[in-house]
Amino acid sequence: MADLSIAMRQAGDVAILLPAGFINAHTVREFEEALEGLVRDGRYTILLNCRDLHYISSAGLGAIMGLIETVRDHKGDILLSDLQPNVFTIFDTLGFTQLYRVFGDEDQALAAVAPERKG
Amino acid sequence: MSVAVSMEPAEFRLVIPSQTRYLNLVTGLAKRASLVAGLDDATSAKVSIAVDEAVTNVILHAYHGEGEHSVELELRFTEEALEIHILHSGQGLRGDQVVLPDPKEYIKHPRKGGLGLLLMSRFMDEVRFKADEASGRNECCLIKKLD
Repeated sequence: MADLSIAMRQAGDVAILLPAGFINAHTVREFEEALEGLVRDGRYTILLNCRDLHYISSAGLGAIMGLIETVRDHKGDILLSDLQPNVFTIFDTLGFTQLYRVFGDEDQALAAVAPERKG
Repeated sequence: MSVAVSMEPAEFRLVIPSQTRYLNLVTGLAKRASLVAGLDDATSAKVSIAVDEAVTNVILHAYHGEGEHSVELELRFTEEALEIHILHSGQGLRGDQVVLPDPKEYIKHPRKGGLGLLLMSRFMDEVRFKADEASGRNECCLIKKLD
């Protein structure tokens, strides 16, 4: 099995990324390219559905951090859902749960941004 | 048949090339070693993250991403703690050179990088750096106590 695979789909204005496996210094470039590709295409509201993400190191956190200002400058955001406990611990330990909106599942995340997208 | 279990500290070593493709192998080993030492699943996951960060630092910073070097991991199981020593011959880091970012400041001014050391220090009980200029051998020591 590859260390990381990334599926992508669109729900209205929200681009949903589903990284599966491990994001570390070896795989981070692939993750970064997926995020950067969305931003290049002008898709600034991005939901990371992490249900199949087993692990993310600081390299992966850095990739998200590197784009957060850009997407917010364009009235978008990076949302997180379906975090496994150990992945949640990593985000929470560094205080990232205050910086990003974290949702229990994808539906909750999409519902939360629906009014923003309409308005 | 009964098997006598030695209570002497046990240790073993693994040497990997300085390439990020082996990170998954190393973190898997760190997690399994933590479970063998008696740590619970959540704590073992934290140890594996700390080891990932430490080995990544060696590969990318101590060896500047050059893949032809070696990174040595020594695992020591004692009655009090699991110790993971990461040894290398790249550019060393002394404890007094380590500056941990302030998470609150980091969140106010997001940027890439700087979080690995913070994760290591949060997830382990002790993180020590030793740089031996005479021998050229350097070490990062990660300690998790067994409560």
